[in-house]
Order: sequence, then C-alpha cells, then structure tokens
Amino acid sequence: MIQVQNLTKRYGNQTVVDHISFEVREGEIFGMLGPNGAGKTTTMEMMEGLRDSDEGKIKIAGVDAKKQKKKLKQQIGMQLQSTSLFDYLTVRESIELYASFYPHSQTVEELLVAFDLVEKEKTWVKHLSGGQRQRLAIAIAVVHDPKVIFLDEPTTGLDPAARRSLWDIVLKLREEGRTIFLSTHYMEEAEILCDRIAIMDHGKILALDTPRELIRQLATTSRVEFPLIDRAYDEKFSTLAGVKKVVRLEKNLIQLHTDQLAETLQDLIPLANSYQFPLDGISTRTATLEDVFLEHTGKRLSQ
Amino acid sequence: MMKAYLQLVKAQLLLFARNKNSFIWSLLLPVFMMIALGTLLGGDNEQFALEVSIIDRDNSVSSKELVQALKKAPGVTTVDQSEKNALASLKKNELQMVIVVPRGFGTAMASKTEKAVVTVYQDQGNLSTSKIGTAIVAGTIDEINKKIVNFQPRIDIKEKGISTHQLKYMDFLVPGILALLIMSNNLNGVAAQIASWRERSILRRMQGTPLSSGTFIAGQMTARILINVVQAFVVILIAHFIFGVNVYGSWGTLLFFVLLGTLTFMSIGFIVASLAKTPESASPIAGLISFPMMFIGGIFFPVRQLPDFLQIVVQAIPIGHLTTALRGVMNNGATFATLQVPLWILLTWFIVSFTVAALTFRWDVK
Ligand SMILES: Nc1ncnc2c1ncn2[C@@H]1O[C@H](COP(=O)(O)OP(=O)(O)OP(=O)(O)O)[C@@H](O)[C@H]1O
Ligand SMILES: [Mg+2]
Repeated sequence: MIQVQNLTKRYGNQTVVDHISFEVREGEIFGMLGPNGAGKTTTMEMMEGLRDSDEGKIKIAGVDAKKQKKKLKQQIGMQLQSTSLFDYLTVRESIELYASFYPHSQTVEELLVAFDLVEKEKTWVKHLSGGQRQRLAIAIAVVHDPKVIFLDEPTTGLDPAARRSLWDIVLKLREEGRTIFLSTHYMEEAEILCDRIAIMDHGKILALDTPRELIRQLATTSRVEFPLIDRAYDEKFSTLAGVKKVVRLEKNLIQLHTDQLAETLQDLIPLANSYQFPLDGISTRTATLEDVFLEHTGKRLSQ
Repeated sequence: MMKAYLQLVKAQLLLFARNKNSFIWSLLLPVFMMIALGTLLGGDNEQFALEVSIIDRDNSVSSKELVQALKKAPGVTTVDQSEKNALASLKKNELQMVIVVPRGFGTAMASKTEKAVVTVYQDQGNLSTSKIGTAIVAGTIDEINKKIVNFQPRIDIKEKGISTHQLKYMDFLVPGILALLIMSNNLNGVAAQIASWRERSILRRMQGTPLSSGTFIAGQMTARILINVVQAFVVILIAHFIFGVNVYGSWGTLLFFVLLGTLTFMSIGFIVASLAKTPESASPIAGLISFPMMFIGGIFFPVRQLPDFLQIVVQAIPIGHLTTALRGVMNNGATFATLQVPLWILLTWFIVSFTVAALTFRWDVK
C-alpha cells in the first residue's frame, strides 16, 4: 500500500530523516516507535505531502506522493500531532466543514455514532476533553472514507481509559479494511495495536518487524534486574550460567540478559551469599519491546 | 468548490460571532471613539457664536443704522468681506449666515407705502443655528421697527436657504472612524488570525485536504466583507442617531468604497501574515504598519494639516484615499466622477496587494 525509498530530510546541516526505506502492507496497522525528536512527525508529514523531502520516493496507494499531491489528498486521511481544529466550532460544524472539502464524504451522523460523539455534537471543540478531541480529529481524518490513514501520536497525553477507547477505534478502522500508519512512543500501544513496527531514532529505522518477531530476535529472552551500587562484581555476573550480557541501568540498577532464567538464578544466589550483597528488589521478566528498543538504541523509550 | 466555499464563509462568521472579545471590541471601539472625541472636541461647536457677514448694497443712512444694530446683536460676530466671498464661505460652513441689505432699502424706509426688505442666507438644514439666527435678526429688526413712528412695521425679512449642510466635527470624524475600522479589522485582524491558525497547524491540516488556497482565501474575504459591511452600517446608524451625522451621497457608492477598502487591507493583512518570520511577529508588524496610518490617514484631522514632507507619503498610501472617499460620499455626496483619484489609487493598491498576497500565501510555517 505504501512504499518509501531512501526518504531523507535535512534542516540546515542536521539530517532529521536519514535515507529510510520501508513498505506498509494493505490493511495493516504500521507503527513507528521512537523517542522525541526521532523524526516520526517529519517522516509522516513528508508522506502526507505537507513537507517536501530532500531525497527519496514515496508511493501511496499507487500515487506518487511527491508529484501527485492533489490525488494523494483524496486517498489519505490524517490526524496531526498538534490539535489543529477551530476552538469555536462545534463538533458537528467541524465535521461538516472538513466534509465540504471533499467531493464525497460519510454522513455526519455516521461519524458521530462511530466515534461516540453524538452527545457532544453541539459542544465547542474548546470544551472537549482530550480524548473527545482526539476522537473528533480521527473522525475528521476519515470523513472522506480514505484507504490510508496517518495518526501522529493519537494517544499522547490521554489517560489510560481514553487511550483504550481510542485503541478500539483504531482497531475498528483496520477492520473496515483501512491501512493505518501511526506513530507512538508508548511500547504498550505499539505492542497491542501494531501488526508491524519500525523502531526509529535519530532519523534512522533501526529495526522493522512484527512485535513478536522483534522480541524473538533479541539475543536473550529474559531479564533479571536488581539494585547494586558496588560495581566490583560486574565481571563475575557475565560468567553465570546463561548470561549473555550485563547492563548497568540508571539508578545503579544492574540488568542480566539471559536465555536460561532458572540456571542464572541458581548461580546468582550462591554468589550473592558468598559476597554478601542483598538481592533486595530483584525482579525477573521476559523481554518486551522496551528491551528491543534498549538493545537497538542503547536508551529507554519511556521515562 | 462551492460547498467548501460556503462552509468556510459560514465557519468564519460563526468564529467571529463566538469570539466575543474580538466581536465586541471591533464594534465598541469605534463607537467609544466617536462618543469620546465627539463630546470632547465636537461639543464646543454648538456653543453659540454666529459668524455673520453683512453686505450693505444700499449704503444709505438707514441701512448703515441697521448694520450697526445687527453688529451689536448678542452672539453675533461679523466678518467683513465681499458678497461673493461671503456666500462661498457660507457654503463651506465657515459662516453661519449672510445678511444682505438690498439696494433701495433707504428709499423704501423713507416712503410711506413701500416695505423695506432684508435677505438672510443660511443653511436651513441645520435647524439649531438657522432658528437662532433668524430669531436674532428678527429681534434686531423688531427694535428698529418699534423706533419708527406709528409703530408700523417697516422691514421684512426674506429668508433664503442655501443648499449646503452644516458640517460638524462629527461629520468629519465618522468617515475617518469607518476607515480606521476597516483598516484595523482587516490588516491587523487578518494578519493575527492567519498567523495564529498557521501556528496552531490549522492551516496545515487544511493543506492535507483537497481544499485549494484560492477557495480558502475567497471564503475568508467573503466572510470579512459581510462582517465589515454590517459593522460599518452599525457605526453609521449610531452616528446618525446620536450625533445626527448624515450620509449625503449614494449608499451604493459608500458600500463600494467599504468593499474596496476591506479587500485592500485584507490583502495587505495576508501579505503580512505570509512574510512574518514567526507567527508571533505578524501582529506586531501589522500594528507597526497601521499605527502611523492612524495619524497620517486623515482620520482625526485633515490631511492638509500635515507637514509637507509627509504629503507625498500620504498620497501614496491607501488609508488617506479611503478616508477621503468615504468622507466625500458621506459629507458632500461625492460620486465616482469626483472621486477618480482615490478610486484609482485604491484599486491599484488592491490589485497589486491581492496579487502579492495570492503569490506569497502558504499554509505552513516556514
Ligand atoms: N521545521 C523544522 N526546522 C528545523 N528543525 C526541525 C523542523 N521540524 C523538525 N525539526 C527537527 O527534526 C527532528 C525530528 O522532529 P520530529 O518532529 O519529526 O520528531 P518526532 O519523532 O515526531 O518527535 P516527537 O515524538 O517529539 O513528536 C527534531 O530534532 C526537530 O527539532
Ligand atoms: Mg512528532
């Protein structure tokens, strides 16, 4: 559905999107996961025809996004990272306004129902809650029934309940057969919503696959973490059974990457006993996308 | 696209009506200005001081006697000048009354049968001065009549209306305030609004739809024209009912110049919004352009009172011409034929600035 090749954007001498290439398949939710300033918005806005790229090719639903902008705009719908709606128009008026820009559009009633905005129909955008405003923004993104939708951090700043309800909406949009490109910096969101994920940092795509595959490709599947200030034993930990890697995290937290959780723990306890350091606050877990991110970028995404 | 155009006009009108601050201020400010300046500066004009020129065509003993009596009448200041000049200044409202003592006045007074006549020229459109003027002249003549034996009234007053209208400071001020309203509403209003929409990505969001910039601008212009016409009308109504300001010219011509002014200043507003480096700087830049225009645009005082070196500037910029045109139509009933200069200069400004606005328009923050 979407083909991007060698897409590049420079601001001054800073390359904010650096020769990225990827494909998005029809009907999938494609996630772009990255920290602040990774280049997610820049990438999406180049695909949406809102910013000019310096290099590269973009093809969306068979349309050359750089040359056939008019045609592109009929095919795609978008929700921008910033609010971008008129404060003093009501929900209904906002939908009607955007509907008028397209030759064909869904009816306002359909959209109000589908996005759970019937009760807020006559409320000014200014007086909507964050979640309602995002739902309206997405309703407007699909007002002309587009095949491809771009959602830029649709749930940032929302509380967990509002986030869940938005996830339901996104999943429903996929059920309707649309292709969705979304950016996020929430692991959980990427894991639950996305069929495939591109991990982006410093303008580059570091990894791209299904969440499950990304995790599976990690060298180790489990993590053991405990606080330890003394750095004298770090060498010893790497000799424990199954441990492939020892990582020092912030706050003097030590993290062991292992393939054999039980064996590692069996070795760790005698070691702790003999050197007399407490294992207070020890935790074990299987690897998540967070670990994938850490592995690729050397930093944590959420903080 | 018609549908989009109509929706944009509707949205802009709704936004304007709902943004209470801008709505109220854009109406209250001109009214407030009118009332403040009208009572401060305009009020004194009503203090009674009749400026009168007396023309004695007869030069007889009795005519001289009458002239002396009139000169001594309360509230009358006489200006000595030729008959032609006197009538001309009456038309320009520099005088309130011209009294002509015709040839043969002396003989008529002397004869038993004939009645002597005095002619009074004044603007009958201005009721207060004309009534008082007549009363003063009548009173003076009455005194003379009484002195004449037999108490036979010997002198008649023949009143002649002059087809001019009394222009007060308010008549001068209101067209100026209309021009100011049009300038600030559009230049400052458009620059601030477009810049803020651009900053808040509202324009970028619209850029993501098939909406063309032409349709967007057309919608903006239509909505703002409607708003300005209504506002101008309200200001004129208030001026009429509170200060007795009249529109002597054609309403159609007036409407035309309100539209032309709106379009011109709106285009300049669009240019400012496009050229401003950052959205926050658009408003200050618009203010910087419009503030001096307030003083050299002939809004509060006539352009001819400005120093010479400013005259060239004044002639080149649109605001002075808009004020001149509005003032011409409202005060003197000027038509397109007599307003050629402001008409062509404003039209040129509109066409040039509209073209530049269309060429420089962009949805996005640079
Ligand atoms: N118009 C611009 N001019 C200069 N630099 C820019 C511009 N827009 C973006 N950048 C820079 O490009 C980089 C990527 O920005 P971008 O908005 O794409 O990041 P992002 O991944 O969307 O971040 P976030 O999660 O905060 O939204 C940032 O370093 C930003 O400062
Ligand atoms: Mg972003």
